[in-house]
Amino acid sequence: MSQKQQDPLDLGRLEYLQALVTEFQVTESLEAKEQVLANLANFAYDPKNYEYLRQLQVLDLFLDMLTEDNETLVEFAVGGLCNLCLDKTNKDYILAADGVAPVINCLSSSNEETVMSAVTTLMYLTMPQSRQQTTALPVVECMLRFSLSANRRLSNLAKVFLEDYCSPEQVEEARNLSKHTAVGIPLPKD
Amino acid sequence: MAVPGDGVGGFCKHHAQQGVCDSRAKYREGRRPRAVKVYTVNLESRYLLIQGVPALGVMKELVQQFALYGAIEEYNALDEYPAEQFTEVYLIKFQKLQSARIAKRKMDERSFFGSLLHVCYAPEFETVQETREKLQDRRKYIAKATSNRVLFIAKKIQEPKKTASKNLERCFQPETLGVSAADASTSNWDPSARCPYPYKPSCEFSSRNTACPSGDHFQSAMAFPQYVNNSAETSEYNSQSKPLTNSAQERGRTNSPVSLVLQRKVPSDNGIGRFMPRTTQLQERKRKRDQSNQIAFIGTDSDSSEIIIGPRLPEIPKVDMDDDSLNTSASLIRNKLNKVSVTVPKTSGEKPEDSQTKPPIKQRRRI
Repeated sequence: MSQKQQDPLDLGRLEYLQALVTEFQVTESLEAKEQVLANLANFAYDPKNYEYLRQLQVLDLFLDMLTEDNETLVEFAVGGLCNLCLDKTNKDYILAADGVAPVINCLSSSNEETVMSAVTTLMYLTMPQSRQQTTALPVVECMLRFSLSANRRLSNLAKVFLEDYCSPEQVEEARNLSKHTAVGIPLPKD
Repeated sequence: MAVPGDGVGGFCKHHAQQGVCDSRAKYREGRRPRAVKVYTVNLESRYLLIQGVPALGVMKELVQQFALYGAIEEYNALDEYPAEQFTEVYLIKFQKLQSARIAKRKMDERSFFGSLLHVCYAPEFETVQETREKLQDRRKYIAKATSNRVLFIAKKIQEPKKTASKNLERCFQPETLGVSAADASTSNWDPSARCPYPYKPSCEFSSRNTACPSGDHFQSAMAFPQYVNNSAETSEYNSQSKPLTNSAQERGRTNSPVSLVLQRKVPSDNGIGRFMPRTTQLQERKRKRDQSNQIAFIGTDSDSSEIIIGPRLPEIPKVDMDDDSLNTSASLIRNKLNKVSVTVPKTSGEKPEDSQTKPPIKQRRRI
């Protein structure tokens, strides 16, 4: 988390990140892809790296991985997004790239980490211009069900989402709706 | 979750110690072997679960050991948690997330009374309010880190280039002294008016409120052929058409902190070995950074009874760099810092000239 950098290490870092991205594109080993993606997602935790990650278009990489079949890749990618989406520039970029929709889709993953990262990402991406999308009715409905989950981590996150990011009217509407229809987004099973 | 006993006190998947990854490519192998795992704000927690504690009645020693990393709010044994024979499981709640992070990093896989500890986060023990606060703290941290970064890069452009990279590290510390975040966000900087940067004499830098300009990196990085072009071709993620270039054109600025860094690589390459700090110095500075970061992040000093509003300013460490020119450069910078800190309050009769003619007591060398 240190903000004080030594320049030689800065350059090493950019080179290193470049090498990671190159390996990701070039390798045919799924294992290597997962490792590299996890590595990049962890780098995304530190704001020090954001410029480089943007320069190397790692944000697009994460967004693209959200639609992969491989659950692990999705988990790591949405984790990476969760880590870096608080930064204003990154946030704008993700919204401009229409990144909210694939994140919402992650809510229906059977991987609990994926779901939780998706919930947090939606929270962090909620802004006046994106609120309509991030707190759309199906999403609020989904959060309502999550808030009743036996998984404490998930229910906590869902409750924070409902209490802090949704209006009471939205919650009420979703509650009424769920009484009548069968909801389509399943709870994650693990 | 279909896992029996899941929820509070039950076995969770994220508690399991994953196998270490042994197939990493050499260039990305870390110092310690690690599993393939992504840490997000959700996974981290003030609560740590400690498994593998030998059942020898050593709870007090365990807590004392962990207390080295920060104040502990609560601790208790988890009797119902599945544990290996002759071992116990403990839950420790730290006052601060940062303490928990450090404690986990240091204590995981450490031997304790002959047994290897396995330390992991236990966010499922959090209350809704604690989760909420955790997410808010992360938000605040990013906001602060991003605004400080803008400051740091602006400062980098201002300071005259020295050959040692360490000097820039020193330069960074005083910005918390003299410059506030508000300045960076509201004023337009024109560094070329102050100290022309030797490698890039005309820099335009109009600051934005939070993050660094990203589009420019791409544009000006492309202009630096030998280093970046290859990587731009091979390693940039190319699956979509490049929105970055469009945004770069829109903004039309030329400065990029990354390109400054890149350009600086060429001259300092030869002298790099000379400027590499000794490990102890590095560790010492790291320790001080962690401390000041902790305090800056938290905003109040937990050790003293005094409540400090806002981040405490880190003290300027005086490290002997084993090199005369480096020491003189460092002294020069220290002088400047003292000048800035002296002139900023600007009390009754204090003039900047006074501080120039009569240097602060601690300074011995001047350029």
